Amino acid sequence: MKIDIQQITDGEDSLVLRYRELTPTVNRILGILRDQDNRIWGRIDGESVAVNREEILYLESVDEKVFAYTRDKVLRLEGSLSSFLTEIEDEAFFRSSKSMVINVNRVISLKSLPSNRIDVTMEGDEHLIISRRYASEFRRLLRGER
Amino acid sequence: MSHKNVPTLWERYLTKEIGIEFKACLYFFAILFFYCVYQIIGHVYVASILHMAEMIFSCYGICYLQVYLFVNFDEAEKLKARECIGMLSCTLLYCLISYAGKWFDRSISTTLLFACYLLLTYFCVFLIYKYKRRIDDKALNADLKLFQTEHKK
Repeated sequence: MKIDIQQITDGEDSLVLRYRELTPTVNRILGILRDQDNRIWGRIDGESVAVNREEILYLESVDEKVFAYTRDKVLRLEGSLSSFLTEIEDEAFFRSSKSMVINVNRVISLKSLPSNRIDVTMEGDEHLIISRRYASEFRRLLRGER
Repeated sequence: MSHKNVPTLWERYLTKEIGIEFKACLYFFAILFFYCVYQIIGHVYVASILHMAEMIFSCYGICYLQVYLFVNFDEAEKLKARECIGMLSCTLLYCLISYAGKWFDRSISTTLLFACYLLLTYFCVFLIYKYKRRIDDKALNADLKLFQTEHKK
């Protein structure tokens, strides 16, 4: 791979990556470049804290306030669940009920419940329910039919 | 997630109604089978249309009760007191209707046998739904692992 590095004295910093095929190396470089976008900022006791979005297990909306739960932290986020989903554009974050979004990548197992609901066991052994209203869409997501 | 993919109130209502229709047909078939066996044992080889109409209407009515009042006990995860009360209440209702409608010529012993048969049917349906969910669990978890693998690539 040809590497062209130029130091500039004025103007905006920029990185141009040209590739023919998305190889693991290119993917790794992209991962480093995008790392900033992976961070979610929230507040814990009034202090700004950032977490990698992969760390988030689920988000919950309580009294119009949005909280993100990781294994050991609870962050208060700005905005709504809908705005969060629109902003991150990551299908691993799935709206499981009116007031909850789960990170599918942090799900340990699923259990089919009566009335077409789904019991979700998250990391940390926490159980969440995907309501009947959202269960069909969840099944479509898992099958890659969305 | 796009909200146009989420079922509307009408679609959810329709799904529930179809579920009730399915249940009504299932229990009607089970009751009709018992009725036909009873008729054949008595050397009667015809079935009364009036009795069949009573059966199907009572199945519809009782299935509504089953879904909306008795917490859909045949689809329950476990058979607890609430589910057993629902099961017994619906069986009692069927028995009262069968007695009033003379489905089994008001024979007490046949009506009692009919009650046992209905309870067994409910229990079998409960087991079928339970087993169906276990199979569904396997498919769901396989799809989950595939999704997680694909998504992390």
